[in-house]
This record gives sequence, structure tokens and C-alpha cells, in this order.
Amino acid sequence: MMKLAIVETKLLTREPGALFSLLIPLFILVVFGSSIEPGDTVLLPMALAIAVGLVSLYLLPTTLATYRERGILRRLSTTPVRPGNLLMVQLLLQLVLAVTACGLLMAVAGTVLGAHLPSRVLSGVLVFLVGTASMFAIGLLIAALAPNGRAANGIGVLLYFPMAYLAGLIQPTHQMPAIVAAIGEYTPLGAFGRSMRDVWAGSAPSPLLLGVMAAYALVISIAAAKFFRWE
Amino acid sequence: MAVIEVTDLRKRYADLTVLDGVSFSVEEGEIFGILGPNGTGKTTTVESVEGLRRPDSGSIRVLGLDPFEDGPKVRELIGVQLQQTQLPENLKVWEALDLYASFYAKPHDWRELLEEWGLADKRNARFGKLSGGQKQRLFIALALVGNPRVAFLDELTTGLDPQARRATWELIKQVRASGVTVVLVSHFMDEVEELCDRVAVFNHGKVVAIDSPAGLVGGEHRMRFTLMAGDMVGLEGLPGVTGVSREGDRVVVSGRGDFATAVTAHLARHQVLVSDLRLDRRTLEDAFTALTGRSFG
Repeated sequence: MMKLAIVETKLLTREPGALFSLLIPLFILVVFGSSIEPGDTVLLPMALAIAVGLVSLYLLPTTLATYRERGILRRLSTTPVRPGNLLMVQLLLQLVLAVTACGLLMAVAGTVLGAHLPSRVLSGVLVFLVGTASMFAIGLLIAALAPNGRAANGIGVLLYFPMAYLAGLIQPTHQMPAIVAAIGEYTPLGAFGRSMRDVWAGSAPSPLLLGVMAAYALVISIAAAKFFRWE
Repeated sequence: MAVIEVTDLRKRYADLTVLDGVSFSVEEGEIFGILGPNGTGKTTTVESVEGLRRPDSGSIRVLGLDPFEDGPKVRELIGVQLQQTQLPENLKVWEALDLYASFYAKPHDWRELLEEWGLADKRNARFGKLSGGQKQRLFIALALVGNPRVAFLDELTTGLDPQARRATWELIKQVRASGVTVVLVSHFMDEVEELCDRVAVFNHGKVVAIDSPAGLVGGEHRMRFTLMAGDMVGLEGLPGVTGVSREGDRVVVSGRGDFATAVTAHLARHQVLVSDLRLDRRTLEDAFTALTGRSFG
């Protein structure tokens, strides 16, 4: 199990996609960061949502669907190790990657850009965990339904843009049609971004939005487990 | 001692009967072939024995254990090379062996396997950069890294060039020599003829014959010629000859062993002139066609 984790970590570091998931949100942060006002509470939460979105919609489903497509999960089922272990290791690793991406963003924003970091640390961690769980559930569902790695990649990218738009990551929410912005707030990524902005603004995250994210995480991951095929 | 005992396996998918009462046993230390065209239940049978696919009915014993009841124990004792599996592109050869070795309680030293399977100079190469033959050797090494008592090799040489196939065959003989029982799934006649001690011939979800390749071929050959001059007498009584038939001046003599030498010597002694002399050796392919009524695609 330990060796599996080490090998999978090595493989992740050799995956260019992992580097992109770290660098794209950082790039956006730095480009837009130069023009923000001190005390900005929008840009950093936005970058965090982009990072979590990329990992869960792009990297996670592509990796898992590729493992199934290449028969790696099936090959593993002929050994004393259960293929479920590989899924667990992958989930943990992708979580670590998401945490790393967010940590990197906060470190750069907090030091170089002098951005505002929230005082409500626990609330921030809670929002991160529940929001990431709901996004990972979507990634797992894509992995369950996609026939192969390529398809998983395509579906992930196709889902990413509308979700990012609804979450106000492409156009600021106050410039969006009110109804779209209102709906967007209840999408997984939208609820995540909104709750993060609340935390950044110094208020408690909305229990309703936390509940919405938790519900997404639960329902979608049950669906993913139901549809998942090992081969 | 029987290492694998399979009794009356049956499996249906909707309207399709995949396994229709498959039974056979594999003895310790042999290379047991499972031969048949694609879609005759070979892979389903082997995957059932490996515990990957549950048959509708029938019993399976691997080293006395049930692969579904005693799955963890069975998986410690078997090594598997599956048809059409890959590894992650970026996984290095040594990492793959080291990783798979860590799955087993008593693994083989993977450094030795690297040497034995000619992968030592590729130890740091990534899987995606290996040639077909190198990948195949790595898969066999991975099937052996757990120190298995039985190794299952499915369509081992598909996609390899003739030279790589021959090299792989030599390696499989080494595996048997090291005391591992091998179950070899194949749809190549020459491969089965070269390697297997015994073969189960599959057709339409059934085992239609189990015998050694020589036993399946039957050892009977035919000699054909056209009579030019002289008359032939007494061919029937020659050693090894089992039958003589004549149609006009076309003659067919069937027989076993060295009957052809006896026949030609006899014809020469009686000053019989023949032309178009041909000796047909029956092959495993002929035997297969006779058994299943279908030719091999």
C-alpha cells in the first residue's frame, strides 16, 4: 500500500497535467493580481476555485478512466492487492494536489501580491473540504461513465467551462444576468466560490451553501459508485 | 497431482452461451494449452479460474482452493498475464517490478527477474518507450514476480514478429523448467504444438478434445502418387501401412511411422515407376478442423 502510494506519487509528478493544474491558476492569479486593490476578497477565492475545478474535472477523471481503459485495475484484481486500494491512493493524491495548488496560491498571493488572507481559517478549511468533495464526486462520476481516458478528458473539459462560467470565474457574477448568477450560486463550483468569497470577506459561510455542496458530494459520489465499472 | 480442476463450467450472457459445460484438469509442472478460435470461451474460462469472472455454475479448484471463496489465498499462488493490459506510460520497468513484488507475501527477487528476462539494460526505461517484445517480457516477469505455483499467459505472442515469438517460446520453456505450471491460452497452432504438453481444444464453449499435440494429430500420414509403369502388389502388407486406395492411376497410401521408406523401397524393388509423389503430414490444424468442423481464421 505504501509502495503503491509512492509509485502513484512519482507517476503524478511525471504527468504534465498535474503541473498545469498548479500553474494555470497561479498564472491567472499573478496576471490579474498586479491590478487588484489591497484588501481584495475576490481574486484569490476565484483562483482557488479554478485550481480545485481543474484537478477534479480534468486530472482525476482522466487518470482513473485511463487506468480502467488500460486494464490496470483488472490486472490489479489478479494480485493479492485489491484495485480499490489504487482508487483510494489516487483520491488521496489528487486531494494532496488540490491542497498543494491552493497552498501555493495563498503563499504567492500572501507574500508577493500582498493579498488579503482570511482570519476565519477553520471556516476556510471547511469550505475547501466540502467544496472539493462535491467537485471530486463529479470527477468520479465522469470516470465512471466515460468509456476511456480520452473521453473522460473531453467530458471534463466540456463540463469545466460552463461550470466555471456559472461560478463567476469567467465573468464576474455582478455582470452576469441576475437569474444566471442566482442559479450559478447553487452549482458545486459556484457554491464553492461564493462560500470562499464570504470567508474572505470575513463572514461565516452560508450553511445553506455548505449543505448544498455536501448534498452534491453525497448524491453524485453514490451515483459514481453505482455506475463505476472495473473493466 | 492436479493443480487446477475445472468441472462443468457454464456461463450465459443474455442469449449467448459462452461456456457450455467446460471440464479439464491441469497437472503440476506441465504447460497446458487452451486452444481455439476467438470467441469460443477460452478467455472466459481462464478468467473464471483466475477469479475475475464468476461462472453461472460449475466448480473450480486451484491448488485445492476455490478462487471465489479463498480469493486472497489463490491470488498469492497464481501469476497472471492478461490479454490487452497495459501499464501507465510513465512507469519505469524497475518500478513496475518493485511495485508488483510488494503485493505478494513471498515475492521473487525482481532484480533476478530483470536479468533473466533480458530487461536489465531497460530497468530505467518507461513502459511507453518499450518495444512490443520488451513489454511482453515485462508482463511475463510481472506474472512471475509473486513466485507463483501457476502462471496464466493469455495470447502471449499476439502482435509479435516471428523472431520475438520464437524468443518468447524459449522463455516459456524456462518457466516450466523452473517448476511453475503454465496455462497458455492461444489461437496459434504452431505455438501450441511447440510448447504444450497437453492441449484442450475449445469450440463453441465446449472442450472438444484434450490430448498431447502429437496425440491430437494422431501420427497418421498420407502418401500420394501417380502410377506411370508397372503394377503394384503387396503394399498393404508393408510395415506401418494402414490403408491403400486406388482410383485409376492415382494411389493414396496411408500409414504411420516410417512407412514411406518401406513403400518407396518396395516400389523400386518391383520396378514400379511413379510420378507426382507427395507426402502429406497431418498437422494440428488438420486435427483441429476435423474436431471442430471449422478452419482456423
